[in-house]
Amino acid sequence: MSKPKVAFFDFAGCEGDQLQVANLEEKILDLLELVEVVNFREVISQKSDDYDIAFIEGSIASDHDAERLREIRTNAGIVVALGSCAAIGGINSIRNSQNPELVEERVYGDDADKVEAWDKAKPVDAVVEVDHYIYGCPIDQDEFVHVVESLVQGKEPNIPTYPVCVECKMNENVCVFARNGGSTQISSSEREVQTPGAAQAEQGPFCLGPVTRAGCDSKCVNEGTTCWGCRGLVDSPNENAHKKVLDKYGLTVEEVLNKFNLYFGWQQEERNNE
Amino acid sequence: MKAINKNDFSEFVDDLIENDDREVVGVQTKSNEFAFDPLKSAEDLRLDYDVTILPPKKYFMPQRETLVEYNLNEGETTPVNQVVPRIIMGIHPYDLVAIEQMDKVFEDTHEDPYYLEKRRQSVLVGVNMANVSDRSFAHTMGTATTDTGYDIMLTDIGDRYAIEVGSSKGSNLLEKAGQAVDDITTDEIRKVKQFKEELPKKFKKDTKFDPFELPSLLKNYYENDEFWEENAEDCLSCGTCNLVCPTCYCFDVQDVNDISLSEGERLRTWDGCMLEAFAEVAGDENFREEKAARYRHRYMRKGRYMYNRFGDIACVGCGRCSEQCLPDIADPVEVFNQMKEGTS
Amino acid sequence: MNAEDSLYNPQEARIIGKRKLTDDTKLFELELENGERLNQEPGQFVELSIPGVGEAPISVTSSPTRGLPSFELCVRAVGNVTNALHEKSIGSTVGIRGPYGEGFPTEELQGQDLLFIAGGLGIAPLRSLINYVLDKRDEYNDINILYGCKRPCEQMFDDEVNHWARRQDIYHEATVDFCPDNVCWGGNIGVITELIPGVDIDLDNTYAVVCGPPVMYQFVLEELDKKELPHEHIYLSLERRMKCGLGKCGHCQINGAEEVLYACQDGPVFNYERVKGFEEAV
Repeated sequence: MSKPKVAFFDFAGCEGDQLQVANLEEKILDLLELVEVVNFREVISQKSDDYDIAFIEGSIASDHDAERLREIRTNAGIVVALGSCAAIGGINSIRNSQNPELVEERVYGDDADKVEAWDKAKPVDAVVEVDHYIYGCPIDQDEFVHVVESLVQGKEPNIPTYPVCVECKMNENVCVFARNGGSTQISSSEREVQTPGAAQAEQGPFCLGPVTRAGCDSKCVNEGTTCWGCRGLVDSPNENAHKKVLDKYGLTVEEVLNKFNLYFGWQQEERNNE
Repeated sequence: MKAINKNDFSEFVDDLIENDDREVVGVQTKSNEFAFDPLKSAEDLRLDYDVTILPPKKYFMPQRETLVEYNLNEGETTPVNQVVPRIIMGIHPYDLVAIEQMDKVFEDTHEDPYYLEKRRQSVLVGVNMANVSDRSFAHTMGTATTDTGYDIMLTDIGDRYAIEVGSSKGSNLLEKAGQAVDDITTDEIRKVKQFKEELPKKFKKDTKFDPFELPSLLKNYYENDEFWEENAEDCLSCGTCNLVCPTCYCFDVQDVNDISLSEGERLRTWDGCMLEAFAEVAGDENFREEKAARYRHRYMRKGRYMYNRFGDIACVGCGRCSEQCLPDIADPVEVFNQMKEGTS
Repeated sequence: MNAEDSLYNPQEARIIGKRKLTDDTKLFELELENGERLNQEPGQFVELSIPGVGEAPISVTSSPTRGLPSFELCVRAVGNVTNALHEKSIGSTVGIRGPYGEGFPTEELQGQDLLFIAGGLGIAPLRSLINYVLDKRDEYNDINILYGCKRPCEQMFDDEVNHWARRQDIYHEATVDFCPDNVCWGGNIGVITELIPGVDIDLDNTYAVVCGPPVMYQFVLEELDKKELPHEHIYLSLERRMKCGLGKCGHCQINGAEEVLYACQDGPVFNYERVKGFEEAV
């Protein structure tokens, strides 16, 4: 069996996902037994348009991006969205709900009028068909390996459809919502005491785990922080119920929306349009 | 019945940690909650806990468990059963009842060696409930105390623990404590009796009927779609109520390969009927697509199906599902009582 | 742990035959490496195991009266395991656990008139019983076979279907939902329920055996109700995702007001009278 040729491409993003791949260290040698890497700007200098699997990192944010992406789609048999920006719009889509002119001015100052970006940053599948998604900001190295290994075997990768809570429970974490109160269940009178607004900065009793796709092994909560939703919404999130939960723990509507907009911006917009 | 001084018991536990070949685990604090974890010192053992995050089922049916290892080049499969012999300290009666129920499931039809061997190689040290969590209702489910299921059972009677021995495994363990184990006094026997009699008063939650009415109540409510839809409206389909339940045992089976694609293992992992994809079959058909259908299924299992199959009500009243459900819709007491009120 | 003690360690089986049935469905003939028979009853299933990919429940399509010690699986490529099996060539090995479950009640059906109703891939489990009764022809009375597919190219086991059509002692009708203009099709065009009125049903002695996609059951059962066939005279083979085949993992449960059924233990073949109150059954 000849090894599939693999290429990496980056669009609007921090390239942190490709870095995760580059940092696979000893595992990368095993991986190179399975695939041949022909395009990977962070690691090798050669370039080729002959590839079977294209990993796309970053959001698509301009006509130029879209044109380049379509060309990749034509060349590749399989397109994989790599990381949150590519898979769900990610952090880039925070700006989607803001005034585009103000955003450009804030970022580029006097050069703002030279910028030819779209008003919205979009995930890859808003422009071309995507075959597989590797979620996360950054991606999980084990999941990346699992996806590559599956594609080499011709398998559908096993990506969870359930929320992060499942992994959190399996890891027997103290629920983020229960950290301050000693119980997941609080009454409204207790709430005043437990959730003074200012104390929420880093360790506040909120967590997006209940609506966020699992697959990260709940690693942020395992390490004592909270889930920020970087893997995007599960297929059928119950956002209303989750908003009620956040409200019960003292977050205002605006705060709730801010939390949801960090990674879910594009997905929320798509859901609202449905 | 026997008794042991608390200091001597601590020494006994430390001696086991130090010298026994088996792993000694017990209830300890985890942040502001409790969990069963390996013990480093008897000091960490908290026999006064109210409830743990996960039940001790994780020791007999681990979250992720290898069933078979395979070599992809040779095409060979080898069954493996990773059994860690354990002494498990501080199991509450409701969890002991749940373990007895799980035993039946894994013994039934095809005996499951993975679960059963782990059970055989475990010693269960029970403890009567010194504290009760806000959401527990074990007393109304008849599981706040138990006469079976433990190898030894402890009751806090002040300076000493009363000890009831439930099996030869238990008496063998106790022998290791040697002279420290003493005969119990009649006064202390009275204290144990009193302890158990006063226990129900510590519970804040109560079902308003005999738990063995549940099978017929649930039968009547099976077709009440509105009831299930209303109750499930805020369900996050996060599976928490399944995963923390001491009588839930459903699992998934997955192959996980080594990156070299030369070997791998077939795992079973915890699964839950509240998760959206649980009842999916090939071709994208899902037999329990709606959250209300999944929600109903969970209650039917707890209150009717397991009763039909094994004669057990598969809710032991530990309150974990209720305690850990974020939208707070999983409290069996609320649902059971609603059904009872709607019926009478 | 001994391999025999583990419920989950598959037996090795070698692929000794492989044949394309339709664009996405192939027939595999397998033999256990230890030379023993599978000893399946018609209607039972096995867990097909491909290490590194996973396991999938597959009904055994061959009758225990034929081709021993080998057995046949009729497999549509719809998931990881079935796709991987399709890639396997003759001579390679796969894993098998089972046979599992309750098959068709071959003894109860003796001396009765049989009405087989198969939709699409539903022919796979039914074929095990059809060939079984044909091989013990004098133990059974009238045999009626209705077989429906979406289009002519999806009909499987053409040689056997032709054989049924030729035999005088079998009433056989085939139908397709749709037939392209350029395809020659001698059978009926329309849904399978249209064929039921044409069958001669004796309310005392006819037993219907039905298998097809989930959507088919409801319509077939309504049609059989019009014929007033007693529900105890109807057997259904139901597909669920049996992960363990052992009545443990919970995935194949079919719930009702009274009880829960495990497709892998109580089924996959069920008497309709038993499951008709089960909302999740059909």
